[in-house]
Amino acid sequence: MQRRRAFLFHLVCVVLLVGLGVGSVLGAQKPLVLKMFSYDINPNYTGFEDPIGREITKRTGIKLDIEYPVGDPEERITLMIASGEYPDLIFHKGAGKFVDAGAFIDLTPYIEKYGDNIKKLYGPYLKRMRYSLEDPSIYYLGCFGVDSEIWDVSGFQLQHAVVKELGYPPMRTLKDFENAIKAYMEKYPTIDGRPTIGLSLLADDWRFLITVTNPAVAATGGPDDGQWYIDPETYEAIYHIRRPEEKEYFRWLNHMNDIGLLDPESFVQKYDQYKAKIAQGRVLALTDQRWQFEEAERALRQAGKFERTYGSYPIVLDERFKRADLWDPGYSASWGIGISVTSKHKEAAFKFLDWMASDEAQVLVNWGIEGVNYQVVNGKRVIPPEEFARRTNDPNYIRETGVGLYVYPFPQRGDGQLDPTGNPYTPTTKDYIKQRYSAIEKEVLAAYGAEMWIDLFPQKSEFPLKPWGAAWQIPTPMIEDLTIPLQRCDDLCKKRIPEIVLAKPADFDRLWDSFQQELIDLGIRKAEAIFTQLVKDRIKLWND
Amino acid sequence: MRRGKTKERLFQVFLYGVMVLIGVITLYPFLNVLAISFNDALDTVKGGIYLWPRVFTWNNYREVFTYPNLVIGFNMSLLRTITGTVLGLISTAMVAYVISCREFIARRLVSALFILTMYVSGGLIPEFMLVRKLGLMNNFWVYILPGLISGWNVFVIRAYMDTLPESLTESAKLDGANELTIFFRIIFPLCKPILATIALFIAVGQWNSWFDTYIYCSGNRALTTLQYEMMRILQDVTSATTSSIYGMNEYNAPRTSPESIQAAITIVVTLPILFVYPFLQKYFVKGLTLGALKS
Amino acid sequence: MRPAKGSTQPLIYSMPDPAAPTWGRKIMRQIYQQRYLFLMVLPFVVWVIIFKYIPIWGWTMAFQDYKPHLSFAEQTWVGWKYFVELFHDRQFYLVLRNTIAMSLLSLLCGYTFPIMFAILLNEIGRRYFRQIIQTISYLPHFVSWVVVAGIFTKLLAIGGPVNQLLLALGLTDKPILFMAKGEYFWGIVTIADLWKELGWNSIIFLAAIMGIDGNLYEAAQMDGAGRFRQIWHITLPGIRPVVFIMLIMSIGNLINIGFEKQFLLQNNMVKDYSEVLDLYALTYGIRVARYAYGTAVGIFKSAVSIVLLFLANFIIRRFNDDRAVL
Repeated sequence: MQRRRAFLFHLVCVVLLVGLGVGSVLGAQKPLVLKMFSYDINPNYTGFEDPIGREITKRTGIKLDIEYPVGDPEERITLMIASGEYPDLIFHKGAGKFVDAGAFIDLTPYIEKYGDNIKKLYGPYLKRMRYSLEDPSIYYLGCFGVDSEIWDVSGFQLQHAVVKELGYPPMRTLKDFENAIKAYMEKYPTIDGRPTIGLSLLADDWRFLITVTNPAVAATGGPDDGQWYIDPETYEAIYHIRRPEEKEYFRWLNHMNDIGLLDPESFVQKYDQYKAKIAQGRVLALTDQRWQFEEAERALRQAGKFERTYGSYPIVLDERFKRADLWDPGYSASWGIGISVTSKHKEAAFKFLDWMASDEAQVLVNWGIEGVNYQVVNGKRVIPPEEFARRTNDPNYIRETGVGLYVYPFPQRGDGQLDPTGNPYTPTTKDYIKQRYSAIEKEVLAAYGAEMWIDLFPQKSEFPLKPWGAAWQIPTPMIEDLTIPLQRCDDLCKKRIPEIVLAKPADFDRLWDSFQQELIDLGIRKAEAIFTQLVKDRIKLWND
Repeated sequence: MRRGKTKERLFQVFLYGVMVLIGVITLYPFLNVLAISFNDALDTVKGGIYLWPRVFTWNNYREVFTYPNLVIGFNMSLLRTITGTVLGLISTAMVAYVISCREFIARRLVSALFILTMYVSGGLIPEFMLVRKLGLMNNFWVYILPGLISGWNVFVIRAYMDTLPESLTESAKLDGANELTIFFRIIFPLCKPILATIALFIAVGQWNSWFDTYIYCSGNRALTTLQYEMMRILQDVTSATTSSIYGMNEYNAPRTSPESIQAAITIVVTLPILFVYPFLQKYFVKGLTLGALKS
Repeated sequence: MRPAKGSTQPLIYSMPDPAAPTWGRKIMRQIYQQRYLFLMVLPFVVWVIIFKYIPIWGWTMAFQDYKPHLSFAEQTWVGWKYFVELFHDRQFYLVLRNTIAMSLLSLLCGYTFPIMFAILLNEIGRRYFRQIIQTISYLPHFVSWVVVAGIFTKLLAIGGPVNQLLLALGLTDKPILFMAKGEYFWGIVTIADLWKELGWNSIIFLAAIMGIDGNLYEAAQMDGAGRFRQIWHITLPGIRPVVFIMLIMSIGNLINIGFEKQFLLQNNMVKDYSEVLDLYALTYGIRVARYAYGTAVGIFKSAVSIVLLFLANFIIRRFNDDRAVL
């Protein structure tokens, strides 16, 4: 007994000593280390030690020590603000909390003094980065590619097998969509021995927005403005689910359920179940975004079932509407990177950001190192075939080479923009996208007389200027009459819409009306009025 | 007599039957995770993996082990688990012993102080500020001190101590032993089964926690823990599969999927702690009191 | 059966004193006599005050429009505003109902089944078999709720094993969408919880059983008591103090049930049954940066907990002599 107790005390002592000794810190380093907080995780970041990171350090004398949040980033931000200790650089997705706390410095004087590259990169959009009418300071630089071309679009999705089987019928309206699903399903009630599913939705937590409510706006000609629809004439904001057009979209979903084309598990399934059904090749149609079912499609490709992957179609409620997937919101800058008031290296940090905006840096971060990751042949930047193959197929490419790693969330040029040498800043091109199409994809596109999926959609040029940018990027200040009703209405939608879609068609109108009344009772009208003001303020701010 | 035997037989059959059934049912989730962790990520997307991998691969584990800091994290987890368990157990037991002494005049006050901690909490922000003020940021002791004693554990141990015959301590007191001696000599050994259990609870809690690493120690890589690193890997993989939303990494095919990584991570972090229980089981011996009374 | 305690014992430290000391001196003497006890507990009392009671200043947030970057003096005070809002919210009563319902169910199952399991385990003669079952049964505790929720939704899916079984047995002619029925949700959560935590929760009861004096069993056997009578008359009373204390503390915890399992098992069809207080506090508090509201919910929970704790303590004291918490 005695011995064991002695041992126990020894153990405690050893443990205590070891515990105390752990505080060792790395020795000082030569380059200036800037600390940075990034809202989004970058899985390939290895401490700025990749070739591109080292090259940046070599050229600027700066090394970034980036902190990525684990868990809820908002929680981390709250604690950061409560403690008043900030890293040098902060990348946020909503500056409200930081600006309220006075955490950012105004970049305007710095831009005047050292910001030539930044001025060149953002051009007229620099104006859009001013915080508000009352406070026109520029607290951060936008993180999206400036004037990026869009070459990829999701629309509504149908398996290639369906359109091929039916001889490529016109795909314009929900009726066309429904008929195609119906005809194919009657012909093939099972696929690979499992029951065929017509249209499957996913309502798992926030994903509800992606496949259930956003498609209602899209099918009725609205652009992606988050939970809002902004009247292009009057700039009145309305909670989009209150639009009468969208009632008809949900009536269609209700009808789809009634005739058995809607997956009965639509509102119950978890993400992995949804992906599994798609990967089994038995879901004919989706109203999703490509990034959400990409993984399942990859599994289909791997299994050689290319006919079970999906094409994107500009389906609308009826001929009155025009899909606005390609309506360019212009440059919105509510997410971005700023410099903190507690930084001891404000000037160096700013100069670093300005350098990142330079042509030299844009080529470095997008293309890599000349002679290693790309070559210049006859004045054109070319990626050698081997490197290109690695770039597309090797999952470790970014982590090992650093190419593409420091594009987002720093100032960046958009896809399709050309530098003074006539080369694009980014290697993403139309050809690259086309190269990835499968044989059947090309066959389907050819049958519809198109080269790319975007060709099927109303083009960017057909739409007027969108002066408010994207409404979901408008920073919402903490106004209780706005945020609380909005939160409550979002929660209510998640409850009521499944009920309404799964109800008997005879009950649809009654349920819909009472749902709409509930939204009003929750105070949505006041929230809409406040948001309308925010939209108008923004337009005013941007067009001063 | 005969009838008693058949009854006993039947009971034995029932007992073993029920136990095997429970064993099978409770083993399933774990086996399922194990199977998924060894199955090809793209194949897992198709669903239908139950007890055995369909397309065997090491890739999920390989992915987990490509991350740096795992060794540091493992060592730190081990260190905090051992330190936290040893210190936590002694502290908890000591408090429990003191409030189990009926004659102790501040007994109700101390009891109340500890029991209320289970139901009141200042919240994340005040706790964070306190840790900062105490200079515990990026300090090993932040893993040990704030959660040193749990009210729940104190009262469970105290309840157990209440079942010990009082005669044991009385004779020692009459012999002139002080309470500290009584605690270490008599009470501690007598409470082996419950202390082993509480040690297990503390150890598992220590081993599994990652949030304190994140908010208090993310500035010092030497203090990283295994669970924290695992959370990061999981988030990395999850973000890699959704990052094309923002035009990041659009060339990049993800190495694996969140579901598969989750499975591999579960196995990696669970295996070490699983060995603690069988080790502690040796303290689960019947008739302890009897032995102690004799000595 | 147990040696009588408490009331029948003479007070060891109160010695007769001819000088009839004053009350104050008596206390001083007692403190001196119990100096070791004070010494043993003092560091931990300091600890508990620093780490558990000082942060309670955070409760003041409930009465402020708390902004994390402002100092205490700079906050705007709003009085009981957030409590008034809380008690006027219909949603709040719904989540309270769900919380209490699921909590009571888990209290019921979380004690009975693990206790039964521990007793049955204890009856197993073969040590290795017992240890293997015990080890296996606690494995699911380490599998995260994300995974368990996934397994459960798949088991209960339209083409899942449960529906296939029901169809094969002819108990239903159409697959049942279990997860879409609100009225099943509480049951599903309870069963999932039981599945995951049965073995883990039984460990403590098993430990309590191990602490029972072996003499008692021997004596009972000599009296010819069978297995069930031993369980009834020795094992159960033997673990009663531990069970009762845990029960009192759990009743105090009735409305602190977290939200992870409900959040992961729920879907939009069953929200009226699945939303619990802790998730409510998160959604309408922290997520929308209303620390005050979140804190108000926290204070409400603490108040309810403490009332429940004293109630449970009082009731158990009434019929279980002095084995209560306080």
